Amino acid sequence: MNMEQQLLDVLRRVFKDPSLDETCSQKNCAAWDSMNQLNLVIELEMEFGISLEPEEIGRMVDFPSVLEIVKSKF
Amino acid sequence: MTYVFRNNTIERFLDGDYQFAGYDDYGTVPEAEGYLWWYQVPVKMNREQLVAEVESYAQRLLWVAGQIGNKPLLVLTLECIWETNANLSDRRLSQAIEAFNNTAWSLAAERKNIKVVDFGKFLQQYPVSERIDWKYYFISQMIINPRLKGAFVTWLAEQQRALALQRKKCLVLDLDNTLWGGVLGEDGIEGVQLDGDYPGKAFHAWQEGLRELANTGVILAICSKNNEADVEALFAAREMPLKLEDFVSKRINWQDKATNIRAIAEELNIGLDSMVFVDDNPTERELIRQQLPMVAVPEFPAQPYGLVELYAQLVREYFSVYALTDEDRKKTEQYRQNASRKQLEAQFTDMTDFLRSLEMKLKIERVTAESVSIPRVAQMTQKTNQFNLTTRRYTEDDIRSMIAHGAEVWTLAVSDRFGDNGITGLMILVPENGWRIDTMLMSCRVLGKGIEEAFFKYVISQYSGALHAEYIPTAKNGQVADFYTRMGLRDCGNGQFKAQIADLDTTIKDYYTIE
Repeated sequence: MNMEQQLLDVLRRVFKDPSLDETCSQKNCAAWDSMNQLNLVIELEMEFGISLEPEEIGRMVDFPSVLEIVKSKF
Repeated sequence: MTYVFRNNTIERFLDGDYQFAGYDDYGTVPEAEGYLWWYQVPVKMNREQLVAEVESYAQRLLWVAGQIGNKPLLVLTLECIWETNANLSDRRLSQAIEAFNNTAWSLAAERKNIKVVDFGKFLQQYPVSERIDWKYYFISQMIINPRLKGAFVTWLAEQQRALALQRKKCLVLDLDNTLWGGVLGEDGIEGVQLDGDYPGKAFHAWQEGLRELANTGVILAICSKNNEADVEALFAAREMPLKLEDFVSKRINWQDKATNIRAIAEELNIGLDSMVFVDDNPTERELIRQQLPMVAVPEFPAQPYGLVELYAQLVREYFSVYALTDEDRKKTEQYRQNASRKQLEAQFTDMTDFLRSLEMKLKIERVTAESVSIPRVAQMTQKTNQFNLTTRRYTEDDIRSMIAHGAEVWTLAVSDRFGDNGITGLMILVPENGWRIDTMLMSCRVLGKGIEEAFFKYVISQYSGALHAEYIPTAKNGQVADFYTRMGLRDCGNGQFKAQIADLDTTIKDYYTIE
């Protein structure tokens, strides 16, 4: 599975919305609140075996920014 | 909705219908179905301030407890996730934590709606480095490491199950390589390992654990492919924590174990879903899982030194209970007496002679809201499935509140020449166009002797006017579908029954003594 798809799966799981796509962002997705931002971080860390720094977490506001940060870990 | 009092970020750990107070906010106590109190010792470097803050928690808890009426409140004990202390002999923080927890436990002892769960038991599985993750603490004020979520959710569900009294009743054990090391038929009486050095030592500790389970009211049974005479000889010859008499029901034969376990359930008059089966043989475990999926079948350790862990797992997953009642402690004895009664029954061909020989005494009492029997009354509504006309589950507070609103609650205690069964029957009548029977139930262990009929007739004879009753079918209570028609009530359809009490036959058989 490519990273885009894997990331989308995590987002869908955390936000409990199987119809989410690459356009989702904090602005257009109601479930993406501060609590779920944390759940997302924890799931990403476990899924990809990475550690995300607080500065990076602050920049994770939509699908492209999350993807870019996760990609930078590999 | 459960309303949660907390002092840090814990949303991640609680899935379901929860609403969260602001951090440290205990001033507003909104309407809710129940409440949860889950504070952590905060991370504060200033020792004076930290101790003072922790010392203030008990007052807050008492205040909240005073605001919630009889609604349930679950308190997780206060635990120190992380601390560092330069003054090694300064015990003020530990003392403040202990004082808070003592307050919670004594509240729970006084107030039936308040229960405490020892969160320390969860935390002690983890080293301090795993309990807290500083990154998450600083970005979101989570004191508990978010990765512990899965384990915590499982643990809390186990605790809640214990609180809800969903305890299994019976533990069915295999013998060879399960209760002792080796195979009796091959290794002989002196050859099986159950004391002395390892592995005998491990089986000895395991048996001591099982003995303790029996002490708390778990019924032990044997299901083993063996020669019964060999097994009796072994128990007679070798010293071990468990005696043959500790097993209330025994199936030592060469039949398949599914048939045997069904027979044990029948003999004890309990449901298969209240049984746990332990066997070292994976084929037997698989057979039971397939044939009797309601029976719980835990895995068996590959090595005898794993037995203590299995014991702990049995306690945790199947046999925990919030507070043991005297009924629980006496249960094994009562099931044993029942077995003796069954043997006596075989001697009589005439059922009436048999019943007369039992010298049964029925103690029927109307209980008040202050009665010490209230916990037992609530427990019976929670646990009784088969002889239960309406299967309404009540808490102690529900019962007290019903009495306050005019309901009349009757209990039945049965004793005979084999012993005292304690309180085993319950009727709740509410005034409603005459009287309506809200609850009518009997514990299975006193059934089969016409006692239910005597109990019903005696209680009803205390009333006059119109009587209404209902039968609500469940998967388990089919045996009582015709109870009210047998008692002479008119079936009005839809599970509703009616009668004028004066028209009912309330004569009670002379072989019961009513007290």
